[in-house]
Amino acid sequence: MALDQSVSRRRLLQLIGGASVAATAVGTLAACGGGGSGSSSSGGTLKVIGVGDQEAGLRKVLDAYKSSHSGFDFNLSFAPADQVQTALRTQLGGGNAPDVHVVYPGNGSAMSMAQLAKAGLLADLSSQSWTQKIPDGFKGAFQSDGKTYIFSPGSSMLGAIYNKKAFATAGVEPPTTWSELLSVCEKLKAKGIVPIALGAQTPWITQLIPYALVPGTVYAKTPDFDDKMLAGQASFAESGWVDAMNKYLELQKKGFFNDNPNGTTYEQATSMVATGKAAMAVQVSAVLSAFRAASQTPDDLSMFPFPATDVAADNWIPAGVVVGIAVSAKSKKSDQAKSFLDYCGQQENLNTWAEAVSCVPLYGDAKVDPALTLFLPALKANKAVPFMDQRWPNAEVQPTHFAVVQELLGGKTTVDAALKKMDEAYRKKA
Amino acid sequence: MPAVLVYAVVVLYPSIAGAGSAFTDWSGIGNAKTFVGIDNFKQLAHDSQALGALRNTLLLTVAIVVVQNGIGLLLALGVHTGIKSRMALRLVFFAPVVVSPVIVSFLWKFVYNPAPDAGLNAALGAVGLGALRQDWLGNPSLALWSVAFTVIWQCAGYSMVIFLAGLEGVPAELHESAMVDGAGTVARFRHITWPLLAPAVTINVMLSTVGGLTLFTQIIAMTNGGPGYATDTLSTVLYKQAFVFGKFGYSTAVALVLAIFVAAVSFLQIGYLRSRETAA
Repeated sequence: MALDQSVSRRRLLQLIGGASVAATAVGTLAACGGGGSGSSSSGGTLKVIGVGDQEAGLRKVLDAYKSSHSGFDFNLSFAPADQVQTALRTQLGGGNAPDVHVVYPGNGSAMSMAQLAKAGLLADLSSQSWTQKIPDGFKGAFQSDGKTYIFSPGSSMLGAIYNKKAFATAGVEPPTTWSELLSVCEKLKAKGIVPIALGAQTPWITQLIPYALVPGTVYAKTPDFDDKMLAGQASFAESGWVDAMNKYLELQKKGFFNDNPNGTTYEQATSMVATGKAAMAVQVSAVLSAFRAASQTPDDLSMFPFPATDVAADNWIPAGVVVGIAVSAKSKKSDQAKSFLDYCGQQENLNTWAEAVSCVPLYGDAKVDPALTLFLPALKANKAVPFMDQRWPNAEVQPTHFAVVQELLGGKTTVDAALKKMDEAYRKKA
Repeated sequence: MPAVLVYAVVVLYPSIAGAGSAFTDWSGIGNAKTFVGIDNFKQLAHDSQALGALRNTLLLTVAIVVVQNGIGLLLALGVHTGIKSRMALRLVFFAPVVVSPVIVSFLWKFVYNPAPDAGLNAALGAVGLGALRQDWLGNPSLALWSVAFTVIWQCAGYSMVIFLAGLEGVPAELHESAMVDGAGTVARFRHITWPLLAPAVTINVMLSTVGGLTLFTQIIAMTNGGPGYATDTLSTVLYKQAFVFGKFGYSTAVALVLAIFVAAVSFLQIGYLRSRETAA
């Protein structure tokens, strides 16, 4: 069992890289751009703004860097995901960005690497040695026009975070097919346990169940769905997204969510699973540490891939590069900031960060969080799909997705109308 | 002259320069922008989200103007009497006004917790009204009114203070002579107090109208415009267009339309209310 709980980093690299290579198109290897040497380090206070999800890892690495670099100090603050879009973006627009700040990998949001790099707001990191180790399949998340602009510690799995004690109370095991999932939920409900905690008042939570389901309902049958979407040969409304959304609503109709998901927040849902009041929540492994922190018995929490279909082989998993950091192109301390990112890229520090946020390290041989064990077979079989928004062409699709899910849960729209609205947002100019 | 210069530099130039972005496709960051003429305004006319937000804005404004001022007036009349605790009550009713709207919103988010054993739902259960428990902010048909109630709860004290100032200005002799003539409480309110309160009504209606039309903080803090688009107002739409969708140009177009709309409504309103004051 112990052996199963760790996996060779090199092996995982091949697996994930292979799985997502089809979905990312990058022309060249990291080209050497301008920028600083990445090795010089002067004194002074580095201003760093992160997003709540990355706090556990980023703080650890900054602390370690500070203790090994005399004269270095940092001013670190965090914002919830929804505020990063506004507060930080305003600072970027106003030309007073922090030296190092959070950036989302790939494209698809106003704070994503591709959008910010296009506006000339990020410093080029291509000359740093760690950038040569980015797996091919992940380059699209890190690079724009062949230059690397973001550091991320690795990839996060998306599935169900579950409370083992609650499962044991109902005498159930993690399901591997959609029908099994429904039967597990039925048994949990019969025991008075909320099967799935859903805090859909917090906008980004609304997307997680569709993200967990579409690898099975869309990408298993059409691995190049993103390319087809970009080429205008596919649409949300005429794809497996319909099945995924119907399944989302089926879970609601059967009473498998907590009452009033639209009025429940992420924090409330987290607490429900941590205390065993609810049995599971569909989430990214990066927030497993937050669930553990909210629980008195953190060892009771683990994860399993959320099954989307009744054919176990079709149940692909979502695995995406986790939120990272970048150096502001306008930072007056860019040498020092780049030096810190170079430090993050060193294997030991990368592992520290990756472990703290329960993600699979970007490269190298390292143990992964035992909670991710059940995801490894799908990774080995090249059945991993990057988070959907990372390849959406503009910043409007994702918020539209949030809004239509809330409308669906509130009974204010239909699956067809909701997906057509997403198609409409997708077709808008970037 | 120096004052005009300062006004020009601090207010006029940024406003005009900002309004100029409404005719571009600027993303809000970087320098890339193209002149697109009135495309943004054409798009706005067909934007179902913005039209829904306009409807929400108007509904909220009407609710706030009518209910907030109604309650404010009743509170003012109540604490304008000779009751012993009137000073303490004035303080209590005015207290929410001095709290930051963000803090009030977060407090009410707790009150509106949908769980049956929390906040307002728990209170309803405790007094035997469990059947009235609601998903106050999560139900798309209810969320807008839940937000409106929070705003009214916070701002009614403000309307009260303005009405109170108006009431203090009503000469006591008028009431005394009317009482001698045999006028009852209702008749005295209708023929003496209400006409003399006209300036206070003008100020309150104007302020609450502008407040309602530009309502933003409470919505962002409590519902973020959701569930879905159920509580989006023109202010939250222009904010999302600028900061979430990265469409600063379009957002400025929405802002410009909102500013003109608020100015027009205020202009018409003040014209009517002033003429009413003179008539009184």
